[in-house]
Amino acid sequence: MQQIFAIISLTWKAAFRYRLFWVITALLLAAVVGLPILVKDDGTAAGFAQILITYTLGAVTGLLGFCTLWLACGTLARDVEECQIQMIAVKPIGRWQIWLGKWLGIVSLNAALLAVAGLSIYGLLEWRARRLPAAELAKLQNEVLVARGSAREQNPDAFIAQEADRLLKDRMEKRQLADADPNIVRQQLEQQLKAELQAVPPGGMRWWVIHLGAARNYLKDQPLFLRTKFHTALTVQPDTVYADWQVGTPRKTPIWQDEMSLAPDAFHEFPVDPNLFDEKGDLIIGFRNPNDTVLLFGLDDGMEVLYREGGFGLNLVRGLGIILCWMALLAALGLAAASLMSFPVAAFFSLALLGISLSSGTLTNVVSDGTLMGYDGEKGTKGHSPLDNVAVPIFRAMLDVINLVQQFSPIDSLTTGRSITWQELGLAFSQIVLLLGGVLSLTGIFIFQRRELATAQGTS
Amino acid sequence: MLSGVALVLLIAVSFAQRALTRDRDALGLSRYTELKGAPPVLELTTVALGGFRGLISNALWIRATELQDNDKYFEMVQLADWITKLEPHFTQVWLVQSWNMAYNISVKFKDATDRWRWVERGIELLRDQGLQYNPNDVLMYRELAWFFQHKMGANLDDAHIYYKRMWYKEMSTVFGMDKPDWDKLINPQTPEEKQKAALLRDKFKMDPKFMKELDERYGPLEWHLPEASAIYWAAEGLEHAKADDRRIDPNDLITLRRVIYQSMQLSFQRGRLVANQVDRKFEFGPNLEIIPKVSAAYEQAMEDDPKNRDHIETAHRNFLKDAVFFLYTYNRVADAANWFKYLTRTYPDKPLLDGKPNSLPKNETLDDYAIDRINEEIKDRGTDKTKLVLEGMERKALESLAVGEEDQYVGLDNLAQKIRNSYMDKIGTNSTINTRLYMPPLREIRQTVLDRLLDGELSPQMAAQLRTKLKLPAAAPKPQSTNSPSGESTVISTNAPSTGTTNQ
Repeated sequence: MQQIFAIISLTWKAAFRYRLFWVITALLLAAVVGLPILVKDDGTAAGFAQILITYTLGAVTGLLGFCTLWLACGTLARDVEECQIQMIAVKPIGRWQIWLGKWLGIVSLNAALLAVAGLSIYGLLEWRARRLPAAELAKLQNEVLVARGSAREQNPDAFIAQEADRLLKDRMEKRQLADADPNIVRQQLEQQLKAELQAVPPGGMRWWVIHLGAARNYLKDQPLFLRTKFHTALTVQPDTVYADWQVGTPRKTPIWQDEMSLAPDAFHEFPVDPNLFDEKGDLIIGFRNPNDTVLLFGLDDGMEVLYREGGFGLNLVRGLGIILCWMALLAALGLAAASLMSFPVAAFFSLALLGISLSSGTLTNVVSDGTLMGYDGEKGTKGHSPLDNVAVPIFRAMLDVINLVQQFSPIDSLTTGRSITWQELGLAFSQIVLLLGGVLSLTGIFIFQRRELATAQGTS
Repeated sequence: MLSGVALVLLIAVSFAQRALTRDRDALGLSRYTELKGAPPVLELTTVALGGFRGLISNALWIRATELQDNDKYFEMVQLADWITKLEPHFTQVWLVQSWNMAYNISVKFKDATDRWRWVERGIELLRDQGLQYNPNDVLMYRELAWFFQHKMGANLDDAHIYYKRMWYKEMSTVFGMDKPDWDKLINPQTPEEKQKAALLRDKFKMDPKFMKELDERYGPLEWHLPEASAIYWAAEGLEHAKADDRRIDPNDLITLRRVIYQSMQLSFQRGRLVANQVDRKFEFGPNLEIIPKVSAAYEQAMEDDPKNRDHIETAHRNFLKDAVFFLYTYNRVADAANWFKYLTRTYPDKPLLDGKPNSLPKNETLDDYAIDRINEEIKDRGTDKTKLVLEGMERKALESLAVGEEDQYVGLDNLAQKIRNSYMDKIGTNSTINTRLYMPPLREIRQTVLDRLLDGELSPQMAAQLRTKLKLPAAAPKPQSTNSPSGESTVISTNAPSTGTTNQ
């Protein structure tokens, strides 16, 4: 371990010697302070906070990511090209320890810089928030500067499957199927049941029972938020429709009611009074449709209850933790490339891989269309290429790997006041650092160990 | 030899160069045009980025669309700003971005305050920036005028009353509560007048001289209401179109003129603010003073747009019918008669009432028309419905009296009397039918309505005002109740955060 720490300290010394640390710190602080001044918000405190978090964290991630990649490629490749690595390699230290030490040095440097940036962002937000009127501050603290957990209705898939089976059996017993394929009938029954669960006819009611679970223990006197989205069955969408809400259990809890005018096809969040759930933690939400058209509440996003799970500070720390995991992966990528290639080639290769991973939209389209040639909207057909049989599986595999990293959106969660849980952070660490970073690290260490350092061309 | 030919051709081209440059500019083929009035940074970026501007603009637009699909709007103002700055002369960019904010995004919010914020952003994008970089762009003027006429002026948005209230508040910072004093705004003398004039020019980008001219041409207009601003921006567009009429599509000018006469129609229908000093709010009433100018605007539009003449004629005829009826109900019978004659003269072969081909002007008197117009609402002449209509008219008459609209009070009362008389004539003199379909005298109906209004349907202050107008004694104080309040209210509210009620 002593050898690894020695390499770590050498990496840090190099960062300070080349003033890299100070330059990046200055750039990060300039981004944190300068961007909110330059970027326009929507005029609300919440909008300002969301803009600040998005652009500063985005700039920090971009800046640090680029610097990490550059530094990782440079620190090893240049040492090899300039024959300085021989000075370290001859010491009683394994090549894997050199590699790991450099990686840990870069990661710890990133951690320090992220801490500086995170503290600045947090400080700036708190400073701006204190100057707000009480009502705006309350809204900000309830909707953005908070870590909100989410509860949804129990997944109805099991119920739908069970009910579809029962209906199918019933029809088979009554010999109502004729020559129809039972599997197709079952599918249709499932679709019908789903539609019935989603659709609320004019004058009809829809009830949700949402179980808050253990969260009920600390939600006493805390306001809850309902987040809902619905669609109308009309081909020409109205601007808004009316919605009658009722939350609470009759005879057990207070009842909250309200009438609203809401736009379809958009998420709406609104607060409800506290203490509307019963002693079991069940929250009953009722919706009555007073319109002349059917409204559709999706099973996935039709209704969600948001509640305060924690504060913004710790949430920010967890978010920065996920960003640090990304940096660790980039460091491993850069070092792995530099283990084999010269600095410019390693840098170009790493940036190209980064570019490909950021083009996941294109990869997704190819995989979903099943072809490289895309979908021709005019003809209504998909194209075809002889390369599809090779490219599509490769793209699918690439997408699976990329999604291991991209499934986490800490910036998105922080701007919407959603909780980044410790489990999520743990999963990010496992997938990004241990799995992907581990594969790259092992590859890089293997290559570095077998590389003949003396054959590297000197640049001086 | 060849060099000589080349030289000759080169000289010949130089003569054509000026004409080519002029035509290229006139036809809008120049990719780069000077960005007048832009800050230095923007000038630099538009030149330095060159062809990449389109690419970056597309990328930003894709981001904006993705964010909007996910209902994330906090970046939209900034993205719209960047997209429009990257393509400052691309009209559709400005139009789409401003429309998106004022219409698509605003309606996604349930609170009127949030909606108003986005409507404002859409207006500001066009008015404060789009027109700055494209001062002669007719489509932008039209779009801006449409926001005022349709989004704020019409009643299709649930929050339209809020928009009007907020616009009234904005305009009051310049005009106060009164009619505009144009001379003070055009030639301000005192510091306060100068401040108001500067506010009008710098914040609202409106020229008081031009406003005065429009007020004389189309008014008197109520500048606290959005219709007047719609007329202003449409008229500005027509003025600026003259600057370079070679590049203007005549159809675009027609849309500007349409905004003007449609906004004038709105101004006529409810372009007058009636102050309810007692309840400290405003109500809308028809602006009868502009009837001649509205009619003139329609006639002008018919001349300017012969392709759509038939539709404009229909709109003109409907307007004249409304004008006659409103004048009648406001007890301006002589004016109503004049305009009725004008309607008869202009459209002698068109029926006055829908679904009644025989209701030609030559077959109807003014009184008949006014009564038949009300009877259209009653249709089956049932007793209950007729009584309901009479009660409604008396209620409206008494409310008008309470806020000082004596003319409307007298007009409605007279009309109600005529409707009652018409009803009694229709049922005849048979005593059995009279008993079965009995309609109380109007004074009884009026008294019933008055009792209800004074008994709690009107606010105490309005009720007191009405008593004064009718010279009734003051209300006796109510005895104190010994019961405590029953509990929390169960009134359901709309369009406000956290106003839901809680019942135990």
